[in-house]
Amino acid sequence: MAERGFVSKTTLLIRKDLLVEMRARDTLPPMLAFCLTVALLLAFSLPGNAVMSDVVDLPVGAIALADVIAGFLWITILFAGLIGFARTFEVERTEGALDALLLVPLDRSGLFAAKAFSNLAYLVAVQCVLVPVFALFFSLTLGADWLVLLGIIVLVDIGFVAIGTLFASLAAQTRSRELILPVLALPALVPIFIAAVELTSDLFMGGGLEAVAARGWFGVLLGFDLVFATVGALAFEFAID
Amino acid sequence: MSYGSTIALKRVDLTLYDGVTGLFGPNGAGKSTLLRVLSGLMRPSGGSALLFGEEIRSTRESIRRRIGYVGHESGLYARLSVIENLSLFANLYGVTSDRVDEVLDQLDMREWQGTQVGALSAGLKRRVAVARAVLHKPDVLLLDEPYANLDDDASERVSAAILAWRAPGRVAVVATHGAKRVKAFADAGIIIQRGNVISYRRRTPTGYEVAT
Repeated sequence: MAERGFVSKTTLLIRKDLLVEMRARDTLPPMLAFCLTVALLLAFSLPGNAVMSDVVDLPVGAIALADVIAGFLWITILFAGLIGFARTFEVERTEGALDALLLVPLDRSGLFAAKAFSNLAYLVAVQCVLVPVFALFFSLTLGADWLVLLGIIVLVDIGFVAIGTLFASLAAQTRSRELILPVLALPALVPIFIAAVELTSDLFMGGGLEAVAARGWFGVLLGFDLVFATVGALAFEFAID
Repeated sequence: MSYGSTIALKRVDLTLYDGVTGLFGPNGAGKSTLLRVLSGLMRPSGGSALLFGEEIRSTRESIRRRIGYVGHESGLYARLSVIENLSLFANLYGVTSDRVDEVLDQLDMREWQGTQVGALSAGLKRRVAVARAVLHKPDVLLLDEPYANLDDDASERVSAAILAWRAPGRVAVVATHGAKRVKAFADAGIIIQRGNVISYRRRTPTGYEVAT
């Protein structure tokens, strides 16, 4: 049998992770439970008849409701993602499969890509539930701009997953990995989520693609995605060893 | 090689030869640490470890594909069945499904092939772990306590799998604190104590000779 190539081996590892998750249901249910609970609580924190352009006076200044809801959305995604990423290597820890995996003839970037794609799959699954729930709870009506929101989510997810997977591999070596991961990852994630909130609040305020793109946050997201995907693939070897 | 302030391996200077080498010593002697260094999973804090003349570094694919390793744990996925685990590693190493069948028969695991590894007893997991390690016919086989939790019959199966794997140019190191079983077929024996090699002997047609 001819030896499989990089992509084929990486795909095998992704399939393995998803199969294990389908059977164990250790990662997705806690992420979803967190998201739905938070979304429900946040829905009760805002007045029922509020509209996106409403301005709320706070001690720090006036803030549009769109900014608040965009913040709610991304904070929920951020912490749900961290819950999932903390479990990235749990499947390997149970029976010590990480040693066996590290001896497989596959470049470490392949292991990184496999774990990152598995994490991406969980994150996308959560967003597929969370975004419609937010739309329902907060009366989001974006029309054709849903596609712009989709584009923002894709760009955020790439950087988020790259950083989360890289730091999860570091945290996996520690006993208190679920506490260590946020400490390591959050500082690196801040710029991505600031960009995400800025872009999304502009969108919720009714600015279309042109208005959103004009502020330059897309460039910030693209830049971070590129840097962290590259750094993640290269640094994973040192983090996991 | 140390863990914090505890030195696990001190001055270990030896060459491994073709065949099976038993690595004997009490608990905490440094057997597992030596195997991890030899597998490339752990980097020595000083000195070097060479495999076929090349530095062992777990980052090198060409070296990694020549190593089969079983540590204290099974190194398997608990939620995958025996056959799914072996097929996964077979695909990653480019091994045919015939070879998977072969090792399943060799270790008498046919009956359990559809069972998830997490549901197996410790002894059965050990057998699957050995099956995984020999699956790709590695040149270097490193087994850490392969007989742990095994009954006599299963131990014989594991020994038979090691003997079937043995061939010129292949090196196995079998670490155990119960020397009797490995001594029966080992070509060499290392005794390690508190991180030091205190004896290394090779079997000859007439008896044993000191090895270095």
